[in-house]
Amino acid sequence: MYGDLGNKLVQHAKRTQNLSHLPPYQTELVRAVTREVRDLDKDVADLLEPFQGSFNPANDQATACTLLVNHLSMRRNKRCLLAYHRTRADRLEELVWKGYDVVDLAGQQVRDGQGGFNGPPGMATGNGGTSSLSPQEEDYVRQYSDLLAAYKGQWTDIDLTGSLEPPRDLFIDVRVLKDAGEIQTEYGAITLTKNSQFYVRQGDVERLIAQGYLQKLS
Amino acid sequence: MDIDDILREVDPTFDSIPEDTRDLQALTRAWVAERSSPELLDWPIDGLFERINERIKQQIEKIEEMTGDMDPKTNFALIVIQTELERYKYLVRSYLRARIAKIDKHTLHYLSNPVIRARLSPPELAYATRHQALLHNHYLSSFLSSFPAPLQNLNDTAGNISMIDAPDLDTAVFIRLLGDTRVEGRGTDEDGAMDGKNGDIVILRWSDAKKLVDTGVAEIV
Repeated sequence: MYGDLGNKLVQHAKRTQNLSHLPPYQTELVRAVTREVRDLDKDVADLLEPFQGSFNPANDQATACTLLVNHLSMRRNKRCLLAYHRTRADRLEELVWKGYDVVDLAGQQVRDGQGGFNGPPGMATGNGGTSSLSPQEEDYVRQYSDLLAAYKGQWTDIDLTGSLEPPRDLFIDVRVLKDAGEIQTEYGAITLTKNSQFYVRQGDVERLIAQGYLQKLS
Repeated sequence: MDIDDILREVDPTFDSIPEDTRDLQALTRAWVAERSSPELLDWPIDGLFERINERIKQQIEKIEEMTGDMDPKTNFALIVIQTELERYKYLVRSYLRARIAKIDKHTLHYLSNPVIRARLSPPELAYATRHQALLHNHYLSSFLSSFPAPLQNLNDTAGNISMIDAPDLDTAVFIRLLGDTRVEGRGTDEDGAMDGKNGDIVILRWSDAKKLVDTGVAEIV
């Protein structure tokens, strides 16, 4: 009671910040904290009921104190919930920017039983079978992707989600990690077969590097 | 862009520089400033980005034209132009991303105040509004909807703590003075002031540096 559970959520959020993958959504905790807020609100209403709107804190300091603590706990719980969801949403947005198909990835992560986001193996979701995102989060990701695509559409020539490393060379060496089929470049078509090596224009293959098909050799 | 470029800009002969070079300098300056200042700066209003977009398009077309040519000489020129284009695009991309990152971090702060709101470009404004709506919806469907009604707001100021997070305007920035001026700064213990000379580089709080930068006697480095 009084914010214990909220604290747990914040600890989860803090932990999420340092993890390379997204831990499963704490449905139970979120529900429990929300329930706590509702209970507290009911308590407040019950406490105030006999006064019929004419409550004077100076006359009944004990009740006033209870009310204050209840109010503060409610607000605190709300902040904890907001912080928890915001941390996760930020993480998801980051993934969307990087061009991952997040919803797909989350499902895959569970199936593979290992960190899908380049995380160390064995650190994956504890309750196998379900996605580590809540349904609401999946919705959010989908809508955010649309939003980002719309914003990107205004800068078609720039490729907003491209690399944020300053470009040094026009051409780079890449090694193919996974078969990626044939791609079209200005210098003709290249067939990317596994383990082969190419000297290509960076702009042409940036997407494929981000998706893990190619590896940049320095 | 190095110091010479900046010095040339304050030179009286500045106007002799062609417009496209000046735009590149303006872009570079905007980019540097945006990346080092803690809060969002004004979106350039003089159509800088329209011109930049136009130019990028032109270069892409030019490259496409030249690709057909097999002459080794054009090939070399092609590589130079392509490299230059990639760098130009990087500047724009990095600039836009820096702004988006700031907007995402303090969305409500930038949206709730009309003066600050004017710093956003129309597409950014649309993006920020939509993003905030998405977030709010996400909160609502996740837990807020089952809260008691008085607690459902996202902009409470109860208990003197505003829920809207604002950027820290007191973080330090480096500025270079573009003219002789008096620099005043607030300190933790006492305030300090000094007579700055053209070209001096000073580190000071952004809240103090802002008026110097706004009046054009200093720039962020």
